[in-house]
Amino acid sequence: MTPMNFPLPNVVPLIPEMFVAVMAMVVLMWDLFLPKERKHWNGYLAIVTCIVAGVLTMNVATAESVSAFYGFFVLDPFAAYAKLLIYAGTALAIIISLDYMKDEFGVGEYYTLMLFGMLGMMLMASAPNFVTMYLGLELMALCTYVLVGFQRDVLRSSEASLKYFILGSLASGILLYGISFLYGVTGSFDFAEVGAGLAHSGSGARFAVLLGLVFVVSGLAFKISMAPFHMWTPDAYEGAPTPVTAYMSVAPKVAGFVILIRVLADALPSLQVEYVTIFTWMAVLTMAVGNLAAIAQRNIKRMLAYSTIGHVGFIILGVIAGNVAGYAGVLVYMTVYLFMNMGIFAVIVLMRRDGIQGELLDDFAGLAKVRPGYALAMGLYLFSLAGIPFLGGFWAKYVVFIAVIEAGHLYLAIIALVFAVVGAFYYLRVVKYIYFDDKRVDFNFVENRLMQATVVVTAIAVVAIGIYPDPVINICKAAVSGII
Amino acid sequence: MMELNNVLGFPILTWSIFLPTLGALFIWLFIRNESAVRWATLGVTVVTFLLTLLLWKYFDNSTAHMQFEEFHPWIEAFNVNYRLGIDGISMPFILLTSLLTVICIVSAWDCIKTRVKEYMLAFLILETTLIGVFASLDAILFYFFWEAMLIPMFLIIGVWGGKNRVYATIKFFLYTLGGSVLMLVALLAMYFKAGHTFDIQALMAYPFDFDWQFWIWIGFFVAFAVKVPMWPVHTWLPDAHTEAPTAGSVILAGILLKMGAYGFLRFSLPICPDASQYFVPFIVVLSLVAVVYISLVAMMQTDMKRLIAYSSIAHMGFVTLGTFMFTQQALEGAIFGMISHGFVAAALFLCVGVLYDRMHTREIGDYGGVANVMPVFAAVMLLFCMANVALPGASAFVAEIMVLAGTFSADQLYEMVISSKWVAVMAAISVVLSACYTLWMYKRVVMGDLVKDKVKAMPDMSMRELGFFAPLIVLVLWLGLYPLPVLDVIHVSVTHLIEQATTTKLHAAQALAQAEMLQHAVIH
Repeated sequence: MTPMNFPLPNVVPLIPEMFVAVMAMVVLMWDLFLPKERKHWNGYLAIVTCIVAGVLTMNVATAESVSAFYGFFVLDPFAAYAKLLIYAGTALAIIISLDYMKDEFGVGEYYTLMLFGMLGMMLMASAPNFVTMYLGLELMALCTYVLVGFQRDVLRSSEASLKYFILGSLASGILLYGISFLYGVTGSFDFAEVGAGLAHSGSGARFAVLLGLVFVVSGLAFKISMAPFHMWTPDAYEGAPTPVTAYMSVAPKVAGFVILIRVLADALPSLQVEYVTIFTWMAVLTMAVGNLAAIAQRNIKRMLAYSTIGHVGFIILGVIAGNVAGYAGVLVYMTVYLFMNMGIFAVIVLMRRDGIQGELLDDFAGLAKVRPGYALAMGLYLFSLAGIPFLGGFWAKYVVFIAVIEAGHLYLAIIALVFAVVGAFYYLRVVKYIYFDDKRVDFNFVENRLMQATVVVTAIAVVAIGIYPDPVINICKAAVSGII
Repeated sequence: MMELNNVLGFPILTWSIFLPTLGALFIWLFIRNESAVRWATLGVTVVTFLLTLLLWKYFDNSTAHMQFEEFHPWIEAFNVNYRLGIDGISMPFILLTSLLTVICIVSAWDCIKTRVKEYMLAFLILETTLIGVFASLDAILFYFFWEAMLIPMFLIIGVWGGKNRVYATIKFFLYTLGGSVLMLVALLAMYFKAGHTFDIQALMAYPFDFDWQFWIWIGFFVAFAVKVPMWPVHTWLPDAHTEAPTAGSVILAGILLKMGAYGFLRFSLPICPDASQYFVPFIVVLSLVAVVYISLVAMMQTDMKRLIAYSSIAHMGFVTLGTFMFTQQALEGAIFGMISHGFVAAALFLCVGVLYDRMHTREIGDYGGVANVMPVFAAVMLLFCMANVALPGASAFVAEIMVLAGTFSADQLYEMVISSKWVAVMAAISVVLSACYTLWMYKRVVMGDLVKDKVKAMPDMSMRELGFFAPLIVLVLWLGLYPLPVLDVIHVSVTHLIEQATTTKLHAAQALAQAEMLQHAVIH
């Protein structure tokens, strides 16, 4: 009897995913054996998990695209770079959580959920077909719903969680519905095969194809909070515990943009004219909603939610450009955005004082006189978010604008720059509170070395990228060169 | 690798730009004591000034080529380079910057009592960005410094300014940012048109057709007009000037306004010569409005700083007028006027600062008879008021007479809707008007009887105050009596600039378009 040929799937590209899944469960189990006052050890373990996952990803990633599990998983430089951003975003969010969790609830499931959410994002980044994409998306989303409502005694938190859950489920449904149309026309879930099928689909299927496009785009637009699907963002940001807001603001966006680029570039290239039109309108709307609504906010978390929406409007320009420079611009933007946003959230959490977090803009009044270091860091982040040079945010805007101009959409760049000026106003207003105003309430800072180190590192990164962005731009260009 | 023209064996421009930043880093990290911070800042700025003096010493007057050049790749993905170099147009501004910064530091010695260290750091960073603007030969590098300047200036006005400082500084920031982003669009658009380059000299050489020049010119115009500022986008300036601390006003009037006019000289004229010619009537009208209308507005001000701010707008109107006359005389007069105004306006703001430190009010009505208690100050202020009026013997006289004469003779070069002779006559009215508002202010503040008790108690100027006026007095008189050293420096570069600005690019653009069409036809 000849031995049966039983091929083992190539699991090497999935080693980081498997590692993170195992570690998430280890964290969950270990939590049972940890005494209450040492629960934060779980946090350290989760941070180590992120770092080791990063090392593993760098080791298994190759310059070529590697596929595994019969085309259900792909690891290319694009996915690898996105995963590094996701690890960094998650690790920084966990660092920000360490102290917060100790007082607030001290539950180990928190870190498990963060790691499983991260696993979902990793799957999204590596998804070559709609099934993997949907699995990753839901894993991430379900973890985030729970995390947003983690302070279950706080009405605001529960309300935000419920809103997010209902709207998120609706968006997932819309996404699935859209996928079903594309599947119906092409008979495949694989991005490349869908792309080939759509290119050859006759005019009879056009209506179904367009419906599929619109639903898929709407579903994904919800995840990256593009207007008019942004409604959940301000509520979820405000209601969630601040570290969770930090977690939601960067890593899921990275995953969302990566999967959006993959879907558009691989599955829907034949509909480029149509989706560029859709995204152009949505981008203008997103920039308008984000930047104008942020002006009216008094709560910094809510303001940052609208600021995120505004930035998503800028980032989407890179997707509209649809060239190497544009997709690289998306990654550059996300890289810079990671440092700016995580830094701001770290300072917000550091300013927390019993019960009342440093959440209102008023709470920042006079920070420069009490803690010039934090004030300087905040100033750097805010000017960077406004896109002023010698800070990273300038180059982030620069790369997407130059890409969109290269693609021939000069008017979009002009509109975006006008909104960038509008956006500068509300960032300046925070600087005004920090630097120009006198102290109104007493500060009571959390002293945590790891968090302070986060502030220092992110501030230095923002300045360093601002002065010499060449390495970041080159890495991002190399990362996306394979997908077009 | 291109041939770099640098007679000095070391990167002097890089040192001039980044020495203040290095000093700022050192002071930030290692110096705690306030008085040590002051002395260290003064030391850094003086060394920077001495360094820039080397530029003057080794500058070659006989060529319009860029000098002291440096080149390093910066962002290769977008062909953005760290390219520095100066010609006769930019060199005087670098010296002006480094000198005025020293004066600012000395003038702030005692008046700034809160957050001294941050103040000094902000000024050092500001100096870096200002020198960087004038030394850049890469458009993105230029934009980088141009925008980075906003951060320290925003903080200087907002933290150490007067009562209404928050409004003033946010207005300043948003106006300038709003103007500059259109320049960025113009730069990015040119990048793709001109074959993926941001090199300013390559852009000067590239033949843009008229439509391109038209839109690029408008993009630049918005950025530079806000900065100059030209009527009607000048409204940020009176607020910013009034609320800024004295040294902030000095830098604003002395250098920031010049950045706008410098932009016209460096970008608009050579890159869009045909569009510049096309827009001459437009610029002339705006300049005349600035010169005449703003002078009238200045007359009605009750706040000294506001009055000088409006006077600055009027004087910059002269500069923009001279810039777009395309005659050697007018253009040299415009540049000379900027340098002269840098000293005179700075000195006038310092005069107001001296009064403000004693009385803590800028209202003209609160003073009167100051000459009785502060005779030395009265003499100094009289000198600078006369210089502001452009009395012969002061540097401003040389500038204004050159602009007027150059405008008067511009007819042969350029046809306008109305004769440029009439433009010159109307501009000349402003000389009378500037005498009205300046001398009237002087009369109300310094002369008259000593009736107010508070004024009676004012001590005369200290040695420190005299110390920072001394170089300004010397320079204003020296440039007024013997302007040749400065004119020699700018002469050849201006000749070259006029040649660029009066040579049409349209023929070359047409030839290029035809060649491209031919190539296109061959391919298909």
